[in-house]
Amino acid sequence: MASQSLNCWRCLARPNISPSSALQLTSLRSFSTTSIRGAPVVKPKQHPGREKGLKASPRIKNKPKEKTGKPPAPGERKAVRKRIVLSNTNAIEVAEMEDLTKEMIDSGLRRAKKPMVHGEQPLEGMVEAPVPERTEEERRMVGKVVGLQGETVDGLRAVEAFKTTQGWGLFRRPGLLLREESVKLTKDMVAAAKEKESMRLVLDGPKQTGKSMMLLQSMANAFVKGWVVINIPEAQEVCNAINDYAAIPGTAPTLWAQPTYTANWLNQIGKANAKILSRIQIKGKYNLPIVIPPKTDLARLCELGTRDPDAAWQVFQVLWSELNQEGERPLLLAMDGLNYTMRESEYRDQENKKIHSHDLAIVQFFLDHLSGSKKLANGGAIIAATSRSHSPISISMELALKQQLEKQTAQKITQRDPFERKYDERVEKALSNVPAVKLGGLSKAEARGLMEYWAESGVLRQRVDEQTVAEKWALAGNGIIGEIQRGALRMRI
Amino acid sequence: MPFLLGKPFNDSQLVRKCLETFYGIGPQHATRILAKFSIFPAAKMGMLPTKTINAVTAELSTMTIETDLRRAVRENISRLRDMGSYRGRRHAMGLPVRGQRTRSQILTARKLNRVERQG
Repeated sequence: MASQSLNCWRCLARPNISPSSALQLTSLRSFSTTSIRGAPVVKPKQHPGREKGLKASPRIKNKPKEKTGKPPAPGERKAVRKRIVLSNTNAIEVAEMEDLTKEMIDSGLRRAKKPMVHGEQPLEGMVEAPVPERTEEERRMVGKVVGLQGETVDGLRAVEAFKTTQGWGLFRRPGLLLREESVKLTKDMVAAAKEKESMRLVLDGPKQTGKSMMLLQSMANAFVKGWVVINIPEAQEVCNAINDYAAIPGTAPTLWAQPTYTANWLNQIGKANAKILSRIQIKGKYNLPIVIPPKTDLARLCELGTRDPDAAWQVFQVLWSELNQEGERPLLLAMDGLNYTMRESEYRDQENKKIHSHDLAIVQFFLDHLSGSKKLANGGAIIAATSRSHSPISISMELALKQQLEKQTAQKITQRDPFERKYDERVEKALSNVPAVKLGGLSKAEARGLMEYWAESGVLRQRVDEQTVAEKWALAGNGIIGEIQRGALRMRI
Repeated sequence: MPFLLGKPFNDSQLVRKCLETFYGIGPQHATRILAKFSIFPAAKMGMLPTKTINAVTAELSTMTIETDLRRAVRENISRLRDMGSYRGRRHAMGLPVRGQRTRSQILTARKLNRVERQG
């Protein structure tokens, strides 16, 4: 302030400042002899492009981007997300890969005794050198990758057995690694069909151990052997309330049908098993809301069910009873994601209470057969795989599977935790007597076989010897197949 | 263009969302209505058959929502005022009713608390 600078520090006298002299005094303060009135007017610094009055803001507002281009059609994004690519022409064709055939399945996944002769045709008059038969050791296919024939692939694709996360798009043709567990599974399936028994199995194990692939193996076996395959690719789609639902009248306790899901399911069953179903005609007489002309084959029946979702569940029941007639083929019932069916679903009943998954008609149908309370008339298999990544935990299911594995290996059986309240009686009852298999890592031999196949396909660019196999095997948590694939094929730096 | 209680909605809108646009229906009531008519949570308006839409409209007309509810709220406030209660006086003055501080933070009360409260 001007007055401060003009105070006398000795006598503390203050000057008498009048308003007229204030201006003159301020000029004394500034380092200039020009009076304020005479000085040129200095405007405050203006930023270019900014008008007076606008607040200076650090943010630069961008113009909203104009949306150009056609938006995708409804369902297009979902189709792209779920697209399965099974062939890659950049991969090398593995010539020595044998296909999964009936003979191979019947012999317990072993090669034929007489090897096929590759190479040129012998000249006239020449006698072919006798080709030695294979030994038992040479016949074993464990650790080898087996190819899938075109028809099998079509069936598997129709039934949604392939998953987008499985890496099929890396190879020339789809191939399956044969493991010890695959051999046992195949032998059990063949034996069950022979004796017209229902083979029941739950595939368990940590994540990425190949449970869905084992299910795919069972479906491939079934397609090759001419069974009828019925698959629920994702149990969570049944139980998490993304499809419409309706109470089935006349059922007590109420059973809930899922019209759209069942219609789509019938479509898949019809397409996958078209060859077999088109040769079976309806024999019985049924009272259905839709008109079924006499002598309709089952493939046509599936089509009719697909077109009319409200009648779909009844059509499915007709299909089921026809397939279980005397003299028909064995059946395979497969389901992935068993965890989702072992708890309450996300649906609500009319009193706003959550519906238990076992009250959904599709789930009840599957679990009745899995638990053994209903049998397949012509034999076959009912196989379910659990899901261990991002899946709900059902403590009753965990306990039931643990007890089953302990029973199978003659160990002491774990009892219920007396302080736990969340056990589910219905789940325990459903899984009380179902054989289980716990998948673990591959053996070194199996891992080597798989990596050799990858190398032959040109996808793995490494020498496959003891050291590299051991390295990949160890890094994958002692042979967890999904981790080996991730380490060897996907992380390519 | 389906109509629920006279209001038009797009086919692509979720039923649950459409129900919650009504004054007096929030997530709880919406879930209850969906459950009563076996409508799954991800249903869109275009997926519902006419029968279900009519049933939902009938259900909504039995509930106290929209104008009925607003009227009820206003009646409650004027009742409080008419009997000379403390709460009634606070509404009339546009001050907080539920014992909040008045030294500061009373913007919402000033805006919303009145006898002719807008629901």
